Amino acid sequence: MRGAVIPYVAGAAALFLTAAVPFVGGAYYATLMLPFFGYAVALLGMNLLFGYTGLLSFGHALFIALGAYTAAYLTSGAGVLHFEVVLLAAAVVAVVVAVPVGLLCVRYVKIYFGMLTLAFGMLFYSFLYKFYHLTGGDEGMRVLRPLLLGQPFAGLGKVQFLTGPYYFYGLTLLLLAAAVMWRLVHSPFGLCLRSIRENPEKAEYVGVRVRRFRFYAFLIAAVFGAVGGVLLAVPTGLADPLLAYWTHSGNLVFMLLLGGFSSFFGPILGAFVFIFLQDVVMSATPYWRFVFGAILALVVIFFPHGLMGLVEGRARMGA
Amino acid sequence: MQRIINLACGSFYALGAYFGITAVTWAMRAGVPPALFILVLVASGLALAVIGPVIERVLRTIYDRDESFQLLLTFALVLMFEDVIRFFWGTAPHQMGSLYLVYGQARVGGVTVPVYNLIVIAAAGLIAAGMGWLLGRTRFGRIVRATAENREMAAALGVDVSRVYSRVFTLGVALGTVGGALVIPATAAMNEMGIELIVEAFAVVVIGGLGSMRGAFVGALLVGVLKAVAIATYAEVEMLAVYVIVIAVLVLRPAGLFARAAA
Amino acid sequence: MALLTATHVRKLYGSFCALEDVSLTVNAGEFVSIIGPNGAGKTTLVNVLTGLLAPTAGTVRFKDEDVAGVGPVRLARLGLARSFQLVNVFPGLTVAETLAVAVVSRLGRGTRLFAALDRDTAVRDGVCAVAELFGFNDKLTRPARTLPQGDKKLLDVASAFALRPEIILLDEPTSGVSTRDKTAIMDVLVQAATRVGIKAIIQVEHDMDIVFGYSDRIIALHQGRVLADTTPDGIRADAEVVATVIGKPRT
Repeated sequence: MRGAVIPYVAGAAALFLTAAVPFVGGAYYATLMLPFFGYAVALLGMNLLFGYTGLLSFGHALFIALGAYTAAYLTSGAGVLHFEVVLLAAAVVAVVVAVPVGLLCVRYVKIYFGMLTLAFGMLFYSFLYKFYHLTGGDEGMRVLRPLLLGQPFAGLGKVQFLTGPYYFYGLTLLLLAAAVMWRLVHSPFGLCLRSIRENPEKAEYVGVRVRRFRFYAFLIAAVFGAVGGVLLAVPTGLADPLLAYWTHSGNLVFMLLLGGFSSFFGPILGAFVFIFLQDVVMSATPYWRFVFGAILALVVIFFPHGLMGLVEGRARMGA
Repeated sequence: MQRIINLACGSFYALGAYFGITAVTWAMRAGVPPALFILVLVASGLALAVIGPVIERVLRTIYDRDESFQLLLTFALVLMFEDVIRFFWGTAPHQMGSLYLVYGQARVGGVTVPVYNLIVIAAAGLIAAGMGWLLGRTRFGRIVRATAENREMAAALGVDVSRVYSRVFTLGVALGTVGGALVIPATAAMNEMGIELIVEAFAVVVIGGLGSMRGAFVGALLVGVLKAVAIATYAEVEMLAVYVIVIAVLVLRPAGLFARAAA
Repeated sequence: MALLTATHVRKLYGSFCALEDVSLTVNAGEFVSIIGPNGAGKTTLVNVLTGLLAPTAGTVRFKDEDVAGVGPVRLARLGLARSFQLVNVFPGLTVAETLAVAVVSRLGRGTRLFAALDRDTAVRDGVCAVAELFGFNDKLTRPARTLPQGDKKLLDVASAFALRPEIILLDEPTSGVSTRDKTAIMDVLVQAATRVGIKAIIQVEHDMDIVFGYSDRIIALHQGRVLADTTPDGIRADAEVVATVIGKPRT
């Protein structure tokens, strides 16, 4: 009985603490948490693809960038400031792009899938970088402060806005995204995805349309990625090409691995730890990449199931 | 050959570049005649290859895992090497353009070309031919190819597989570092060079096919020519064109243009 | 009523002829065994019959639909299921989940993205029904990879049964099973088939006792050709089949 209660208690505590940060932790930590919401949403989607369906995408940053640039186009280009509209538009754009890309990529598996997604990610990056007149090149495009639920919060300064209304909007969005993903994962569809991950050949023999379901997972992951991208872009106020660069996709995979891809909450934990780790390490040494590389190497070699894996008691692959 | 996707080879390239510059600077101070600089570059590249076995030992821990993990581990190495370079050589680009002047220029078929470029092309050809000979006609080469095809069988036949892997890997590292060193006079050594190279190397390998030397050669040629043509005609399309080809190849002939029959 | 018919099937791998002019029919209510020495073409025939391979020539019809090379998914939906010679499971899924995948697929609920699986009574009932038939009731929550080899095999067959197919093709269902357990397993299979409403069973088997004990008809393959296609008694009387496939009869 106690064992079953602990996850709920832990979850409630985490939620409470997260909600408390702007009040207790001050502007610094609250601002630090902002990318967390974006990455957590994007990673939830990415893990549907990897943890549940077995497809590791090395170009997921593509959709984050898509979301960010959609936000930029709408807010600074078209003057559309309603956040809800921006989010919806980002989701639509993600689907539009994910359909052809996904149709192509899901015909391939494992390393080929990874390579194809990486190639598409870099393709988008080159497009963003080179087509200066359309995309602003390496300077990027500005993302303006949106209206949350129609409210401008005009009286608030930038930091106040971000650590106040925007923070809680982001948290709510994350909760919504998590709820949606939870349902997805516990549905018959989710079970079919897992069967595809475990043994795609047998899945076919049991009547599962493997390719089609992989495609659906890809689409869903893309939407989550784009929404995450919008969330990421507002605090920085900028959409820039590096969001699509392969190392950014690499960081996403890093976060997934760090948190643990075999668990539902792994991606969220991974995003959180990465953000804080980055902050701590970056302030401690200019050679933070080295430390991160070392951490990633250690995780890959010794803790492939990440932090959630440790919590759930499985340190080695195959568990 | 080893069926490892090594993202860190770009880092070896970068290391070679930086170390090469340092080596030449030392050589200059030591009074070595300028004409020999290219040998210094090559030598420094080879010297760096000593890190090969060490890295290989690390990668060995995950040979049997999913390829995604190999990618991740080598990505971790990329990150680490980036900062190693930053630590030793700082963040500003290092140049060695003066080396061009040392070797002068030549006229080839009506076009003026820097001699250094010719030397590098010749060196690349030599190295490629050398690798081909090594893998095709020597005992070592046969063992490497056999191990690549069927690891268990080779081990059963008495091949020390780990030693083979270590040597092949070091060889790969050496190629990377020497390559990086040689490219110095043409471009500057920058922090991002390892990461940018990986992108091109990835394109080359996909186009040429994993595990094929001829493929890598042709792939590299194709990518190089494509980029040059693109820059000359429609600069914005440069890397885009390469990626489109990569995607096309992955779709039409996923194993690359010269793939070996996959095991 | 003929459920599955192969007509003049020929399968070439390059210049190697794996199947030559193979014709066979499986009717409702039949238990058909395919026998033959290694290399006779049994695996190829099975792959052609289950839509994995398209024949170079000839047709394969299932319930009067051309199913040459349609693929396992389509065939499963039409009502033909298959189990594997080599153990084929979903290692990380539990027994219940494995069966559930098949039931979900049969009920066409794979695209239900937001329904809660554990509250789906139709799926649960389907899983329990099959689990009971195969004796998995107390193993429902065990991950498939932790099962003993024999159980894994049985699970593979069970998940095929869970599709409630009209025809099931069992590829060496008792290989890797100890002789003592073979008849027990076969009895379970036949009984389950009747309960689930399977109309015909095709099996590829090497164990002649099992073959003769359960078949209505035996098809003997040799070097890609049908050597004989008749009742067990007919096979026993066929000297050529006995010589090439079965071996000398026990005295």
